[in-house]
Amino acid sequence: MTRLVEITVSHAVLARACAGDEQAQAAIYAAVAPATLTLIRRFVGRRAPSEDVFQDTMMIFYQRLPQFRGEAPLGAWLRQIAISRCLMYLRSPWKRLCLSLDLTDFRVGAAGTALVAQDYQGESIDLERALATLAPTARAVVWMYEVEGYSHQEIACAFGRSVSFSKSQLARAHLRLRAWFEPQGNPPSCTLI
Amino acid sequence: MHPDLDQQRSLARRLRELPDEAAQPYGWREFQRRSGAHGRAGRGLAGGAVATASVLALAIIAAWARLGGWSPQAARLTPEAAQPLAAHTAAMEHWLASLPSEPAVVHVGTRAAVTGLEDRIAQVDDLLSAERLDEAHPARLLALQQARTRLVGALVQVRYAETLADESR
Repeated sequence: MTRLVEITVSHAVLARACAGDEQAQAAIYAAVAPATLTLIRRFVGRRAPSEDVFQDTMMIFYQRLPQFRGEAPLGAWLRQIAISRCLMYLRSPWKRLCLSLDLTDFRVGAAGTALVAQDYQGESIDLERALATLAPTARAVVWMYEVEGYSHQEIACAFGRSVSFSKSQLARAHLRLRAWFEPQGNPPSCTLI
Repeated sequence: MHPDLDQQRSLARRLRELPDEAAQPYGWREFQRRSGAHGRAGRGLAGGAVATASVLALAIIAAWARLGGWSPQAARLTPEAAQPLAAHTAAMEHWLASLPSEPAVVHVGTRAAVTGLEDRIAQVDDLLSAERLDEAHPARLLALQQARTRLVGALVQVRYAETLADESR
């Protein structure tokens, strides 16, 4: 998997893009867009709302590009924007209402499994299924900690919660994921956290 | 190494090895087109009234988009799918019942959508009753139940947009 944080862009292309050169901006888009959408889909789940968050992320990215000082890799900077937009989406009142009503658009568990089954194939499908059974918040914490390398402190800051929130979410998600992969017994049912 | 730590590392490794998103994002031209549409909307319209109008319009579009006939997935539904469907519909109807029957401010556009949706839900209810009396095929009943759930979901969207619009005034 190509991680967004690992993507780098040459200084020359970056400078041209900041100056408004459309070709350079398109080149950066081609380099970062797939990994950005992949990351957002891990947080948001379904394709349509993921594309909305993706569009929003990329628009902010280009608006703020002239302010990029190069202190961190470009991919890491973009990742920060993407994750911030994803968390805003997860915290939105409409999303919370959908979760409380268990609306079809945001259902996890069985629906999530169906979604995964349509989109992915191969050995990784088990892990995709297991991830889909997690509540969106727990899934976001797992992804930020295990894949993106965020610390509990950074996750807590991003969510505006305590460090223990991050640790407990991760511990519960681990239990769920382990239970899923254990050969005996049934996969756990989903609980919205 | 402690087995828990080992398992945790294994999980992190497996997560990192997951394949990229299967479907690629849209291209640069499409991104620009969508950005332009966003920009024009922002420049041409301003203020809370416009935000309200946008929310309502989006809700109506989303609601009517859901009414595009029977879902092709309906035919693949299994009998086990009926119970969760009924539970979701009940939860949504419970939330709808908690709202006042009329919003604080009546918008013509959303009222038309709400009454249209309520009429269609009533039609589906009639159909469901008739099919149950005729002991219709379970797949047919499931398809109707799924259609009803979609309609109630669309109604929730419109009523929610009305609630937001009321709060923003």
